[in-house]
Amino acid sequence: MLRVEGLKKSYGNKIAVNDISFEVDRGEIFALLGPNGAGKTTTLKCIVGLRKKDSGKVEIDGKYAYLPEKKELYRYFTVKKMVEIADYYTEEFDKNKAYKLLSDFQIDLKEKIANLSHGMVTQVYLALLLSQNADIYILDEPTWGLDPVMRNRIIEKIRGLSYEGKAVLYTSHILAEVEKVADRVAIMSEGHILEMDYLDVIKEKYVAVTVRKGEKVNGYKWKETENEEVYIVKREDAGSEYEHVGFDVIFEAIVGRDRK
Amino acid sequence: MWFSIDFNSHVPVYKQIKEKIKSMIATGKLKKGAFVPSIRSLAKDLGVNLNTVSRAYRELVLEGILKVVRGEGYVVEGLDTERFLGKKLEEFRKMVLTLKGDGIEYEKLEGILREVYGGEGNAES
Repeated sequence: MLRVEGLKKSYGNKIAVNDISFEVDRGEIFALLGPNGAGKTTTLKCIVGLRKKDSGKVEIDGKYAYLPEKKELYRYFTVKKMVEIADYYTEEFDKNKAYKLLSDFQIDLKEKIANLSHGMVTQVYLALLLSQNADIYILDEPTWGLDPVMRNRIIEKIRGLSYEGKAVLYTSHILAEVEKVADRVAIMSEGHILEMDYLDVIKEKYVAVTVRKGEKVNGYKWKETENEEVYIVKREDAGSEYEHVGFDVIFEAIVGRDRK
Repeated sequence: MWFSIDFNSHVPVYKQIKEKIKSMIATGKLKKGAFVPSIRSLAKDLGVNLNTVSRAYRELVLEGILKVVRGEGYVVEGLDTERFLGKKLEEFRKMVLTLKGDGIEYEKLEGILREVYGGEGNAES
């Protein structure tokens, strides 16, 4: 559905995305994770053509719908007017679906965008986007600014897209949410993809070992205790004494090393 | 069908689903020949992705626990109960070793066993 190969993008001297490749299949939810400035948003912008890539290939089979990081809508329009505009400018837009979603989200159609909270503007934007028929949905921080209950409802909607055979590529910095909804993840830091696999496979792949300070270990240093260091290593490199750890710890260790 | 999934656990979600189905078979809640929910409906009920349930079912089929009935779904083929229980006993053994290492006396553990089994086959009650 989507193939990205050797994608590179710099802003002046700063390399934002450094030679990354990945694919997203039909019915699959793929999450790009990483600390701020890792290159996630730039990657999405290059895919949809809002930024011109320096090199690499991007192939999309079919139509895409894109939710930008900054969810801004015309402040002085009402919600209803926004739906009408979206309906006018968007191919394969389902107006009734938009009204239904907005009513699910308990958003008043007569309200002006300017009077909505950040979270509600995100919901309006999402309602418009989810009413657009596409083959792949590219979502930059779709749950940004939403409360936990609404976040879960959005997660359900995203999962619903995959049930219909759509592909989803999205970014989030809320790991607990990613663990609920992503099939595969790519962990990015400083423009590189450091780890990419099924979430379940990553959980099985890594464990924690504790070693004496200074001991050489093939893995990601996670933290130091008074006399010891804790590393996240591949299970086959761990020997017989190791601890299981959650995805949050694995993620922290992987992006942590690159930061130093 | 519903059971609770721990998304933040180090145990992969597909594995949690597999284990739960196995234990439902072992305890007789799921009988041989019975249909399990379709991939889509179980995914929906549990709030997980289709691919996750699909992987769990695929592996259960490979292990001979579920069988695909073409066009109809998945049925319970059976569980090597001995092997399943053997694994559980192995977990128990590991736990006992840990407890022994923590300095818990044999009599204490025996007391718990007796309490749980309600004196079945023993002199207690």
